[in-house]
Amino acid sequence: MSLFSSDHKAVARRYLWSGLGFLLLGGLLALLIRWQWAYPGQPVPGLAWALPESRGALTPPAYTAVFTMHGLIMIFFAVTPLLFGALGHFVLPLSIGARGLAFPRLSVVGFWLYALGGALVLGSFAVRLGPASAGWTSYPPLSTPAFTPGLGQTLVTVAVLCAGASAFLYGLNFIVTVVRCRAPGMTWGRLSLTVWGLFFASVLNVLFVPVLAAATALLLMDRLLGTQFFIAGAAAVGGGGDPVVYQHLFWLFGHPEVYILILPAWGMVGDFVAFFSRKPAHGYRLTAGAMGTVTALSGLVYAHHLFTSGMSPLLGRTFMVLTLLISLPAEVMYLNWLMTLWRGSVRLTSPMLAALSTMIVFGLGGITGLSLGAVATDVPLHGTLWVVGHFHLTMGAASFLAVFAGLYFWFPKMFGRALHEGLAKAHVLSSAVLFLGVFGGQLAAGYAGQLRRLYDPYQYTYLKHLLPLNQWTSACAFLLGAAQVLFIVNLVWTLARGRAVGANPWKVGTLEWTCAPSPPPAWNYDPVPEVLRGPHALSQPEVLAQLGRDWMGQAEPMPDAAETEPGPVDAEEPGRVSTSGGAA
Amino acid sequence: MKVLPAGSSSGALFASVPPSSPPPAHVPAVAPGTSTTDTPRDALVPAVAPGTSTTDAPRDALVPAVAPGTSTTDAPRDALVPAVAPGTSTTDTPRDALTLSLPEDASTHGHRIDELLASSHRFDAVLIAVALGWLVLAVWRFHQAKQAASDGGTRRSRAWVLGLALGAFAVVDGSLLLGSEGYLRDVLWNFHVPAEDPRTVRIEINAHQWSWEARYAGADGRFGTPDDVVTWNDLRVPVGAPVWVQLVSTDVVHGFSLPHFRVKLDAIPGRVNQTWFQAAREGAWEAACYQHCGTSHYRMRGVLTAMSPESYATWLREAGKQATQAYDAEDLAAHWGWEWKAP
Repeated sequence: MSLFSSDHKAVARRYLWSGLGFLLLGGLLALLIRWQWAYPGQPVPGLAWALPESRGALTPPAYTAVFTMHGLIMIFFAVTPLLFGALGHFVLPLSIGARGLAFPRLSVVGFWLYALGGALVLGSFAVRLGPASAGWTSYPPLSTPAFTPGLGQTLVTVAVLCAGASAFLYGLNFIVTVVRCRAPGMTWGRLSLTVWGLFFASVLNVLFVPVLAAATALLLMDRLLGTQFFIAGAAAVGGGGDPVVYQHLFWLFGHPEVYILILPAWGMVGDFVAFFSRKPAHGYRLTAGAMGTVTALSGLVYAHHLFTSGMSPLLGRTFMVLTLLISLPAEVMYLNWLMTLWRGSVRLTSPMLAALSTMIVFGLGGITGLSLGAVATDVPLHGTLWVVGHFHLTMGAASFLAVFAGLYFWFPKMFGRALHEGLAKAHVLSSAVLFLGVFGGQLAAGYAGQLRRLYDPYQYTYLKHLLPLNQWTSACAFLLGAAQVLFIVNLVWTLARGRAVGANPWKVGTLEWTCAPSPPPAWNYDPVPEVLRGPHALSQPEVLAQLGRDWMGQAEPMPDAAETEPGPVDAEEPGRVSTSGGAA
Repeated sequence: MKVLPAGSSSGALFASVPPSSPPPAHVPAVAPGTSTTDTPRDALVPAVAPGTSTTDAPRDALVPAVAPGTSTTDAPRDALVPAVAPGTSTTDTPRDALTLSLPEDASTHGHRIDELLASSHRFDAVLIAVALGWLVLAVWRFHQAKQAASDGGTRRSRAWVLGLALGAFAVVDGSLLLGSEGYLRDVLWNFHVPAEDPRTVRIEINAHQWSWEARYAGADGRFGTPDDVVTWNDLRVPVGAPVWVQLVSTDVVHGFSLPHFRVKLDAIPGRVNQTWFQAAREGAWEAACYQHCGTSHYRMRGVLTAMSPESYATWLREAGKQATQAYDAEDLAAHWGWEWKAP
């Protein structure tokens, strides 16, 4: 299969390998940060080749580049590409019964834009003065040439534009695909929750990534053309621009971005708890509605990132109320997941363990964010490791574990081989526990006041006592890094000689498992299936009675079709409970 | 510039500190606490952070130079030379590695934030316990159960979900919102307090890569006049009076924080931000930058000394006299003060 194949499954595989590569790179950079906080200024074992002058020790300039690139790589080149590029491209058309994406060639362009961005990121490590170092947020004036002169900052700015263009393209592609290319009978109420999550997140991509692109393009003009959109005060020759405008533009994208990273994860959790509790999702419509509400609100809460920027009290109060409001739909969704487990028949497969782990880390991450949403309690915590721990639990740990939930779930469909369950479970469990160690440690250090991005926190007297805590946290981080070997071994071994699987190893009813072999052929479905029911038709008594199994394909007719053909009226009838929860 | 190395911090300590970028061509108008007014900035930059060595051995060795807990009032040898030399040490109570709480509170109003945070965290703990307990119980109880329910919930169970979510939201978010609003109304955004209190101390702070330059109005009460007192990384405030800070930045975005006073405010080029606080007791605490502002961000450390109102007044008077003597009308870079902005 050529590198330019426009089959959505081939594009997905390209994103998968590059995303995993960048995940490894971003993870190694994170370990460097953790090393620095545990052993400040001491040589990093094995890094002398990269930093010969300091014999491998991180210098302050190197350190700023490391944390900047960790953030940018993880968000734009690892987690988003894995969630959307790999899982989204693979699952979305299959799950709705489409024979491909609406714009196959656009998805190829999107991947190569992303690849170009990735190449620029990698290249930036080789240029004089190193890669970007102004923080992943790239706040001007720091990110302008007066304060960060290197070519690396420019290259990475262009790379972010490339990744943004790619995200916009697949966002658009996914939206059109879901709206236009669903199989006959695949009503909106029969979409899997994963597709709902991907769909809502794609809407956010299309709405808000252009905002980032605008801000980044203006910043690039400030860097290259001498404009002063974001320069003000003494640093500007003529004044005029305003750095705060950039902050607003950036976070107008930046906060929806965290929902872009978590909505597909929510969708997968919703599906997997239903699949592996062997029962329909509790409150399917409520859950999809809650995800939609979060999507609608997500562009209206961003300014809580700017509570300390001196914004007007009116704005501060407004964003405080809106921010707290967004926790309501999240709670509804979370309770629905819990209710799905209840009275189910829980099977602790590797995707289920990963989904449950996602629930746990996301729950902790969400709850620790409440105090950041109110202005008064944000003040002591703003800019500390509390914030870092909070958002890493949600968009780091939760998204990571959801990526692996999805990967463990769909890997057999992607490659026709089953990963080793024991290794997969060990990987998920150890990662989840160590994530809690790492980000729990960061929450604790942040609560005690440790500020983000400090090369050496311990020069502050009031932070000196946190060294042992940080060393423990770093130990968890190193172990977390080591635990990923379990996945790599599993992956390599499975691809080489893993057990071949049939079409439906998980015994669930969605189209990709019930209407296509593993892996699916080039055009997915021939003929295109006619969908008869929702994605979670599990443990239905009539199916158990007639077929002797607890699952039913979405497009599988009942042996006595006339009796069970669902009509549209069913959904509205309160007495017929089995029609909700995605069973219909 | 107030951050001469303490006696114990020798130059050798900084040998391993990586080079910082060139300092701005800024010479402080007055260096309170020292008799020199022309200390070149670059000689002082490393001194901003005693104990910052990247070799870890000397870090702790530095601290005992000034016994922790020494209060400025214990040794009023000279109002200009506090016992705790600013820039070197603070009066933090030494903490155990396992003491995990907010930095100690030295402000008059900070306890309101602390209490709100504590109550909010109690609610959070309940939410976590319920959610995780439910999850574990469900997995344990229904693991491999023989039968699974065939429905996606009943109207009743869905109503329960909505009701529980609404209830938790109302209690947890509601109490947080109301508590926060009370603090904003009474303290954080209530500038009537500093504006109406005759004792209020006004400070203009100019953030640089990488130091805090603070300007006091001096005896005439007006900023931008020859008797302005300018300090570097050395804030002094009287205990018990509102301190009203207006904040700017000369270069990049900085974040001015006083962790022990629950103060955080961005310093942004091109605008004047303001906040206020009040010290509850005497002592010395750190000021820290919380916005990434370049390679030496981590060394943008200052010390705030809360003094008795009398020693503060003495200090300000003496420093103002020195400033007037040392005033150089042609040193334009030093004249960054502005007319105090009315709220």
